[in-house]
Amino acid sequence: MKGNMEECGMHEALMSYLYGEATKDEAARVEKHLNACASCKAELEGFERVRDMLQQWQVDDLPIVRVSVDGPQRSFFSVVKELFAVAPLWAKVTAVAALALLVLAVTGTEVRVGSGGVSLRADLLRRQRPALQTVSVSDTANLEQVRAEVKGLVNTLIAESEKQEKEELQRQLQALEAQLTTARSTELARLASRIQEHQVKIQTIERDIDRREGADLTDILFGELAKPTANSSVAAGGN
Amino acid sequence: MELSDSQIIEQTLEGQPDAFNVLVRRWERHIYGLTLRMLGRDDEAKDATQETFLSAYRNLSKFRGEAKFSSWIYRIALNICNTRLRSRARVAVSIEEQYEAVGFEIAAETEELGSDIQREQITRYVRRALQALPAEMRQVIVMKEYEGLKFSEIAEILGIPISTVKTRMYTGLTELRKRLDHLRGAI
Repeated sequence: MKGNMEECGMHEALMSYLYGEATKDEAARVEKHLNACASCKAELEGFERVRDMLQQWQVDDLPIVRVSVDGPQRSFFSVVKELFAVAPLWAKVTAVAALALLVLAVTGTEVRVGSGGVSLRADLLRRQRPALQTVSVSDTANLEQVRAEVKGLVNTLIAESEKQEKEELQRQLQALEAQLTTARSTELARLASRIQEHQVKIQTIERDIDRREGADLTDILFGELAKPTANSSVAAGGN
Repeated sequence: MELSDSQIIEQTLEGQPDAFNVLVRRWERHIYGLTLRMLGRDDEAKDATQETFLSAYRNLSKFRGEAKFSSWIYRIALNICNTRLRSRARVAVSIEEQYEAVGFEIAAETEELGSDIQREQITRYVRRALQALPAEMRQVIVMKEYEGLKFSEIAEILGIPISTVKTRMYTGLTELRKRLDHLRGAI
């Protein structure tokens, strides 16, 4: 949303005027506008009030700022340079010699002192190449023998491993068979027991039937046997 | 005779780290004032002030003499404040902060309060009104109103044109006027 001064195109000049940074011409231009524009004048008065309010917020306390004064961060080389400058002569010579040795060692340089004087040979590149080896005929024979021994050893190890595996499988099979047999026996015993129970029940039922039916039959049988005598006499007498 | 900021920096870089403490004592009030008004919280402002001077000390060798030390250290402080403002969790907005965003009303009995209490209350509202402004407006207002920097200095610190500084200032003051105009009777 635009303010009055912005609409009038005076807002930048007003800011300079408000904070006392306007040039003479600029100030005159703003004052002239303010005399003619009531809303811009009201806006300026509003800004002055805001400024008064802002000034009510003053900072009373202060933090305790502590900066560790170990010296600003310096580079490694500046430290070495300073150290070198204050070191005695013998230390400087020793340091230079040590540095030279370090460089020679790193580059793999060979130093030879002989009748021909001192010779130096930088060996950095040669050391990085893989070393070539010559193989003689006797070495080949030995190699064959070693190869045969290794082959034999590997075969033995494989055979042992297979044997162990077979034994393990056998053991597992036996254990399974034993479990199966036990399970079968238990099942058979259970079935036999149930059959026996059923047989006992059947016998009991048969006996019961026999007992009940047997009495009537006996009565009938014995009645039949006895009646013919009586009946026959009755019949004989009746007839 | 008092040493200039540049002379103190030279001494520090030449191996007199204690000299830096002179700079700290000279600028700590300004930096604390800036961070407090930017962040709105005392404890956070103190941390930011400490962080500002530590950062300045560690990077002192990078300070180029053509700029003023004050501009350089204000820039460091503002960067630290902006980083902290960005990292504040936006979800954790308190009821008070929500009020700040939509405006608030001053207590009706303001005129009856004692001057100290009244000032304290106005300060609280000013603090909230400033916090409700976008950081880019707030930093311009803080540097102008409280640090008394010229528009050209603010422009140099922020690396923006003077006209942009004045526009931000004008927009910020317009916003503040809307938020604080109900206090007019209290001043």
